[in-house]
Amino acid sequence: MRTDPSETGGLFVGRRPGTAPVHFRELPKRGSYLRRRFDSSLAGILLGAIALLSLLCWGPIPLACLWVAAQINYQTGSVSLGILIAFVGLFVLLFGALAILRRLDQAWILVRRAAGHDQRTGILGRVFAITAAVCGGAFMFWFIIIHGPGMGA
Amino acid sequence: MGLLDYYRQFEGMSEEEVNEGLRAEAAERKRKALMRVDTLDLSQTTWPELPHPSIVSAITFVARRGLHRYPHLQRGSQLHGELAERYGVEPGRVILGNGAAELLSSAARALIEPGQRLLSTWPSYPLFPIMARRAHGQAVRVSGGVDALLEQAREPGTRVIAIASPNDPTGELLPTGELGRLLEGLPDDVAVLLDESLVEFSDAQPVNSSLGLLSEHSRLFVFRSFSKAWGLAGLRVGYTIGGPGSEELLGELAPDLGVSEVSQAGALQALRSCSEIVTRRVATVARERVTVTDALRERGFDVSDSQANFVWAAHPSLEGGELSARLSHAGILVAGGAALGEPRHVRIGLRDPASTTRLLDALDKAL
Repeated sequence: MRTDPSETGGLFVGRRPGTAPVHFRELPKRGSYLRRRFDSSLAGILLGAIALLSLLCWGPIPLACLWVAAQINYQTGSVSLGILIAFVGLFVLLFGALAILRRLDQAWILVRRAAGHDQRTGILGRVFAITAAVCGGAFMFWFIIIHGPGMGA
Repeated sequence: MGLLDYYRQFEGMSEEEVNEGLRAEAAERKRKALMRVDTLDLSQTTWPELPHPSIVSAITFVARRGLHRYPHLQRGSQLHGELAERYGVEPGRVILGNGAAELLSSAARALIEPGQRLLSTWPSYPLFPIMARRAHGQAVRVSGGVDALLEQAREPGTRVIAIASPNDPTGELLPTGELGRLLEGLPDDVAVLLDESLVEFSDAQPVNSSLGLLSEHSRLFVFRSFSKAWGLAGLRVGYTIGGPGSEELLGELAPDLGVSEVSQAGALQALRSCSEIVTRRVATVARERVTVTDALRERGFDVSDSQANFVWAAHPSLEGGELSARLSHAGILVAGGAALGEPRHVRIGLRDPASTTRLLDALDKAL
């Protein structure tokens, strides 16, 4: 039975990819048990924030941009200006959200480590994929079940 | 520690930082390795190089074939036959042993009755007086060459003369003519044990010239070894060659259960495939012997005319122990003469040109 995770059976020279240990500049001074419990909860809160912000990217932010574009079109009568503002707004908001998500992901890694976990990679990629699937599913549910095909005709 | 500092201490190093650290460690290891100078051990009379791979392979082959049995009777072994053929003598006149030292001790026990005398020149191989005592005999140290030995040999109770040629530690060779004169002048009941463990290093006369005396002098026994020029001290293989009529005594010298089969395999392979290596080795030693002897004499040393793989030297104002201590500080080990019979002297081993250069540099600083 193989028990060594770095045992590659000769497939790789050296360590198996992705199994490198984290190198710290100095050995971290870990907190007390309560501190680690607190950090564990804080990691959960951060994960919730990441999930929330990620969900915003797939629905509310694009919808908000469309709403703003519609308002501009209504106020100015210019479709082009509305489309332009919508694209610029969408670009700024999405990339701003992604930058914040990345910082939250880094913070989540550090807090997880502080809580005592051997956390080597972030969770942003998985959360982003899950929220995309959730939003996509919700849209399909609305589009097919609630709105119904051909109801608008 | 602030709140953010607490979490920042869990930040891992980037791959570039880790690699930079590893490169720095490797550079430090390399720097230290380059700074380290290995000690040059010139205190031994054995050869420092590792055995040729073919010898190791031959030993491994025999070892894998089976170590569960006693070695073959040595008179029938291939090594025994090879040696007899090499020296052109009947197989019964060659006997194998666990090194020349063991054969010399066996010969002393076989020849010396309690109280009888064993003569040896001095300084010489430290085993000679020891083997006389082990045979319950009396060791007599003689200075003055063949004439002094002949004079002492006429004293009652003298049974054995032990001579090393080339002599350890002086390196001096007993010329065949002088050996013949000694054998001619000895009383009939005195045997000569001629230790030629270092003879392969000599170039002053043919290596096998002493064997020519065996046919005329049945009380001459020549002892040789694979430990020195052949560089196989760890195998413990030596052999004795006697004259016609010596078969019975030679039989008494043989180890009870023979010589290890793996040792014989290594020695046999050396004889068959490594003669050229030994020839090159001996040529190197001969060159360095001249270089070191001349260099030491230029520096005021009294150096004996060595025919071995070392020189025996004494500085006019420096004790051997002090000189060896100073050389030791420079990373060069030589044998102090106190343990070898002459406190003023040192025995300096010969290796290659690089070792000679390093030795002479260290000597210049030590003097």
